[in-house]
Amino acid sequence: MISGSAVLAFFVIWEIVARAGLIDPLFISSPTLVARAGYQLFAEGEIWNDLRVSAAEFLTGYLLAAAVAIPLGLAVGWYTRLYFLLSPFIDVLNAVPRVTLLPLIVIWFGIGIWSKVVVVFLGAVIPMLINTFTGVTTSEERFLRVARSLGASDLTIFWTIVLPGTVPFIFTGLKYAAGRALLGVVVGELYAATAGIGHLIAIAGNTLQTDKVFVGILLVMLAGLVTVEVLDRLERRFDAWRPTVGSAP
Amino acid sequence: MKHERALLGAASVAVFLTLWEGLTRGWWTEHLRVSQIFVSSPSAIAVAFYRMFFVTGEIWNDLRVSSLEYAVGFFLAVVVGIPLGLAAGWYPRLHYVVEPFLSALSATPQVAFLPLLIAWVGIGLWSKVTVIVLLAVLPITISAQAAVKTVDAGLLKVARSFGSSEWQIFRDIIVPSAVPFLLAGLRLAVGRAMIGVVVGELYAATAGVGFMIHLAGSSFQTDKVFVGVIVIAASGLVLIEVLRRIERRVEAWRPRVGAAA
Repeated sequence: MISGSAVLAFFVIWEIVARAGLIDPLFISSPTLVARAGYQLFAEGEIWNDLRVSAAEFLTGYLLAAAVAIPLGLAVGWYTRLYFLLSPFIDVLNAVPRVTLLPLIVIWFGIGIWSKVVVVFLGAVIPMLINTFTGVTTSEERFLRVARSLGASDLTIFWTIVLPGTVPFIFTGLKYAAGRALLGVVVGELYAATAGIGHLIAIAGNTLQTDKVFVGILLVMLAGLVTVEVLDRLERRFDAWRPTVGSAP
Repeated sequence: MKHERALLGAASVAVFLTLWEGLTRGWWTEHLRVSQIFVSSPSAIAVAFYRMFFVTGEIWNDLRVSSLEYAVGFFLAVVVGIPLGLAAGWYPRLHYVVEPFLSALSATPQVAFLPLLIAWVGIGLWSKVTVIVLLAVLPITISAQAAVKTVDAGLLKVARSFGSSEWQIFRDIIVPSAVPFLLAGLRLAVGRAMIGVVVGELYAATAGVGFMIHLAGSSFQTDKVFVGVIVIAASGLVLIEVLRRIERRVEAWRPRVGAAA
């Protein structure tokens, strides 16, 4: 109730300030102008291409990151030596905001879709890797001991104890990585691109078409919300077998 | 083996650096078709690092600008975020008001606002400061809010029944129990503010380490780009370490949980 009216008040004040000319609408636009720009962009269809490009970059980079990070994280968690070998690189990459590498990536991969895919990949791969790794190394010690003393093979232990125990960690990583991936798409496209929502925002911003900028921001916001929701659903699906901890809902 | 970790780590780094250096030296260079311009090499980067710090000294101005942006932005984020979060945790009505805005903001990569911020405040210091505030204020506010909400209800009840004023409760119960949450929020904010500096400067700036990286990148001075990346990585590590020190300091009174170290 209060939330709803706060949001409503925000939009109304924004509209009034713009209409009354207290602040030039050129700079802050107004909700009606944004709505109209959004309608036009979709009606004229010029936005579909940007959406398609951004979505392709996001999905390719994110899925590649998952395909690399989850097996690698499991392996690094399982084989201590491998962890020792790779940890300097993982730690360094974790310390740098990966978007810093953007100018290099543009030199290497050009300003097309692949430079964005690489940025998304780099942004997403580290949190996935670190979470998967943590999941493996925090496997329940007692279960491992019981399994070993009853003569379970390494493969059995991996499939029945380590992997199920790691799933929640993997999902935490996937969720965190989704935010990173989205950041990668936007920054990559703001910096150098020929299409995409970030590119649309940058162009509209440079030409002071503030209403279009807001449409772009809203689309990015929506994409973020949808991604989180999809991952939440997936997580519930994978975790359905787990007994609920805490009070009954 | 006792030093296995250090040995294996050092070995893999050494192999990596050797391969990298070797890429651009030797007869295979022509067949691989890699040139110094694209990949640089550890020795070239070391030379560039030395030159930029001690010969031409060109990096000091960039470092000063970036640090200033970082410091101002982070300070503002703390000054706004902590009181706002504590208040939103304490007064449910305020929480209802700010909640939709906070969740909308946290679903968006805040850097999408950058072109807008530049239209509003220009390409100087303040566009970077505002982007840092936008990025860093969220984890701080959210953690401050969570901190108040998870205060031990038993403590509150005891304090109330002994007639403490709201202010006493706030000072003696809320704030001390909020500290670990706040520190967790600050730790997240440190990294995000760093993203803000870098992205803000890459996108539009006139000085700063991010700007230097951008310039060097567009003129194919790959060695300089790597110097910039190293400087930023090092600053990130230093900031995290500083925060860890502060954490140990303010948390020293707390009884330790779990196994002895």
